[in-house]
Amino acid sequence: MNKHITEILDNTSLANLSENELTEIRAHVVDCASCRKAYEAARMSAAVLKSRTQAVIEPSPFFQTRVMAALREQQAAESVPAMLRLWRSAKAVVATMAVTTAALAVVSFVAPAESTPATDQSASVYSAYSVIMDQPADEQMTYEQVLSTIYEDDDEAR
Amino acid sequence: MDLARQAQAGDESAFAEIVRRYSPRVFRVASRFFRQRSLVEEAAQEVFLKAYTQLGSFEGRGSIEGWLTRIATNTCLNMLRSAKRRPEFTVSDLSNDEQNWLEQQSGSDGNEQPSVENSVVATDLADRVLSVLSPEDQQALLMIDGEDASIKEVAEATGWSESKVKVRAFRARRKVREAMEKLLGR
Repeated sequence: MNKHITEILDNTSLANLSENELTEIRAHVVDCASCRKAYEAARMSAAVLKSRTQAVIEPSPFFQTRVMAALREQQAAESVPAMLRLWRSAKAVVATMAVTTAALAVVSFVAPAESTPATDQSASVYSAYSVIMDQPADEQMTYEQVLSTIYEDDDEAR
Repeated sequence: MDLARQAQAGDESAFAEIVRRYSPRVFRVASRFFRQRSLVEEAAQEVFLKAYTQLGSFEGRGSIEGWLTRIATNTCLNMLRSAKRRPEFTVSDLSNDEQNWLEQQSGSDGNEQPSVENSVVATDLADRVLSVLSPEDQQALLMIDGEDASIKEVAEATGWSESKVKVRAFRARRKVREAMEKLLGR
């Protein structure tokens, strides 16, 4: 019975001590002042802990409504970032499309204007006409000569 | 189980019923950590909002109550960890009521029902000695010594191993006893 009992006190709650353990404690604390103090402190601790766990706060009648309102608020707040995430993922595609559209616009409207002299369709038509009809004065052919030249080529082909 | 399945399928009224049915349990857990109603309600609301977003992870192996208890425990522990550090334990400022309560208790066999006033004093004293513990150790000690929960029950509620719970409870019990010895010996 000379063994100090603090180990027993700390090992389990007072409520769960066995009869043997309680007997050992009670016998020891009669002669051991430090263990008597420890046992007293353990009893006080157990009492305050019991009181502490009995101090339970009950939910108010409005608690359920409050939670459901908070849930809807949370869902509404989460829907905005969802749109932002969607925009972020689509941003690259949209940017690519915008650049492509701009490039096409430049090719269609700006580039042709700059290269007009080289690709002037009316000039080309004029040149073709001039090949046949607007030859230098000394080489000019009449309409009939043109026709006969054409038909001669056809006859040769046949 | 049916309620959980309905709520998982997006049925808000089923989730509202879960809140109604299990809020007393969640409040009980939160009351272990906080004494102010506003903090207990804040914690409980946080628990149900988390539960709603984690409904998909509830597989129905255990009870909804057990699942919510674990969310509540972890939520409260996180709230306490992120809160400012508590003032350090001191023995110099015991009130007269606290001193009287300790004197009364040391002369009693501990089986008398305390009055409401005495309960408040005892609860204040409990908070004073519990302040020497980490939130995790407080949780273990309050459940085992305060609510007579088994090691296994604490392990289930917290997700800790049973040996971890035992170590925490042993360490917490010793620290609280030593703090109480200081209070008694002043």
